[in-house]
Amino acid sequence: MQRVAITHVAQSPGVESKENLHDFTYQVNREVLDKAGLKRADVGCIISSSADIFHSGLSCANAFDWDGIGAFMKEGSRAEESAMSFIYACFRVLSGHFDTVLVTAAIKGSENPDNDAITPFYGDPFYLRPVGMNESVVAAMQMRQYMDRYGITEEQCAKVVVKNRGNALFNPYTHIRKRVSLEDVMSSDRIYDPLKALECAPKSDGVVSVLIASEDKAKKLTDKPVWLSGYGCSLDHFIPGDRNLLDGQLQAAAGRAYEMAGISDPRKAIDVAEVCEPYAFQELLWCEQLGFCKEGEGGKLIDSGITQMDGSLPVNPSGGVLAMNPYTSRGLYRIAEAALQLKGQAGEHQVGKKVKTALAHSTHGFGGQCHSVVILSA
Amino acid sequence: MGRAVAVIGTGQTKHGRRPDVSYPDMVREVIMVALEDAGITLKDVDGVVHGTMPSMMEGVSSTHLYFAEAIGAVGKPIMKVETCGSTGQSIAHCGFFWVASGMADIVLVVGSEKMNEGDSQATMTTVFDPYFQRVFAAGAPGTFTMQCMEWMYRFKIPEDKGREAAAMVSVSNHDNAMDNPYAHIRMKVTMDDVKNSRIVTYPVRLLDVCPSSDGACAVIFASEEKAKKICKKPAWIKGVGFRGEESFFGESDKSIWPSATEAAQEAYRQAGIKDPLKELDVAEIYNPFTYQEMIFCECFGFCPRGEAPDYVLKGTFKKGGELPCCPSGGTLCTNPIGATGLIRLAETVLQVTGKAGARQVEGAKIALSHAMGGVDQFNGVTIVSSNL
Repeated sequence: MQRVAITHVAQSPGVESKENLHDFTYQVNREVLDKAGLKRADVGCIISSSADIFHSGLSCANAFDWDGIGAFMKEGSRAEESAMSFIYACFRVLSGHFDTVLVTAAIKGSENPDNDAITPFYGDPFYLRPVGMNESVVAAMQMRQYMDRYGITEEQCAKVVVKNRGNALFNPYTHIRKRVSLEDVMSSDRIYDPLKALECAPKSDGVVSVLIASEDKAKKLTDKPVWLSGYGCSLDHFIPGDRNLLDGQLQAAAGRAYEMAGISDPRKAIDVAEVCEPYAFQELLWCEQLGFCKEGEGGKLIDSGITQMDGSLPVNPSGGVLAMNPYTSRGLYRIAEAALQLKGQAGEHQVGKKVKTALAHSTHGFGGQCHSVVILSA
Repeated sequence: MGRAVAVIGTGQTKHGRRPDVSYPDMVREVIMVALEDAGITLKDVDGVVHGTMPSMMEGVSSTHLYFAEAIGAVGKPIMKVETCGSTGQSIAHCGFFWVASGMADIVLVVGSEKMNEGDSQATMTTVFDPYFQRVFAAGAPGTFTMQCMEWMYRFKIPEDKGREAAAMVSVSNHDNAMDNPYAHIRMKVTMDDVKNSRIVTYPVRLLDVCPSSDGACAVIFASEEKAKKICKKPAWIKGVGFRGEESFFGESDKSIWPSATEAAQEAYRQAGIKDPLKELDVAEIYNPFTYQEMIFCECFGFCPRGEAPDYVLKGTFKKGGELPCCPSGGTLCTNPIGATGLIRLAETVLQVTGKAGARQVEGAKIALSHAMGGVDQFNGVTIVSSNL
């Protein structure tokens, strides 16, 4: 089978952008092509990821993005969520039709209302929306269940914020770069009990571009290609009440990715993970379901220090979504960060250990309705 | 180049006003039809691709989440692809590339829209950027009318000749829809009916314009190996092309519509088609407006620029003509937007597999389907053939 690799990545700086969306997107897009020494005309195909109207004020946002992502009169398409865009780009290369595909995810969260004002639109207008469901409310219910069932403590959940926000201090491309203590997190406002303000992701601007290429082309473009070795995705039932919020589809998604990558013991095989944790406790829950620890032992995992930057399985060395949440772009940020770790180009937040295999995860929908897992290897 | 990919099953709902079913029920209805047509069950499906027009039409964001059960995607990998009006072709292309990549053997592609529960013109106005274009956007007809005026002016087509040809396009599509049990608008219209119907945006009249329909379409893609095992008469994907222009409507020349032209050329190149008028047996064009169908015929190389009205008037694109366009009655008679581009593909599949019933074009072997989207910005084309 044909292989596909990430050759170069570029990200926008974490600060709120003063540029308009066209220019904001163009700059990052231009940067990744410059790194690869390619011109727009050399790229086979362009795939974008952009939010729907609820996160952007634009319907068919790719229509507006088209100029900035360099797609004028080029073969291209758009998938809504950015991990999907990445994998769609991989399909296109693996099909043999294209040597290079540029994937760009763009969003300006700073120009939109709070996430809690937008995520109710995930809900249907008949049952979920009228009772006030939004992403944070469902997360709070999920967190309560998680603590009740497995005896996970609020402190253990809060520790994830301390870790990730601490890591973010070393990442110039992330949004919130301010250290917080356990006390800060524990004493922050309870937004939806037991969820506290500092345990929720911010709302950020973010453009990230990833250039992917076929095996032959990748070897010509870079001496450090990052190979796609596994991919899995799975979708859960729509109504949160119809599912087990503590045992959703992540295991299925991860299982598919591990099978494709030939991984039987993820705890040993994965060197670093970038996990999508818009709510602090979710990092612990997702780590369990990714097979990094046993069921119900997410609390022990964070206590053990294994997932710290210098631990044996660093999770979110970039600072994760808790430090930067460009809503639809966040999945591709995880993939880009995992690629940088494999290339040894993560700068100050490069983990201490040698990285041969990395995992990137993305989720969207209430309580993790849809999960995608990508395994990358050096 | 990659693996060969076939369509092994298609399904359509009865399109039109569907107050009899909820939106998810309507989507479920269509996937069951497609699965039955292919002779497989949901268990055989490796992945699902879903798309609608923008989610403002649904009033629900990320519609693949809402339709998880309806599209049969629970526990399966899902792709949500959306490119405005061209969504139907874009989701088909995603299904094609997914199978061609070797990462799935059977992919179910579903497009849907329940336009009567939303406000389609208000939704389309939000496709325009909020600063410059939205303030004077008047939904779809305003944009498309400017385009048709530009086209007639550019090629010095006398207005009455353009009017006559557009009326004939309308009559021909409405006649064709009488043969299509799935079509929304099924009524005979005369040239005079079209020419005397009320003005929507001059010179476009009511019978030059598509309806707002409820409807869904599902198409099942399979690898060569699976297709040969499962399906007696698969339709093979021979070429796919998609192009887009600037987001600012005024910056490109819509009278020669580069994105439509190059999307078709890309698909022709892959399919080895040099003279589309001779080589294609049937075309399903995304024609929400009669005048646009003529512009598309020129962009797709069916006739020289500026001469589409002549070809229409001599019957080239009518049923029984040299290259029948839209034997289904086209978008002009049925337009559930998110499904429409996929319906075009499904109709060409029915044609090349000889399953199109009363609207069958005799001996059709190779066919073009198409969809258009954005602010007159995107065009996607797919070529299918009865031969591998």
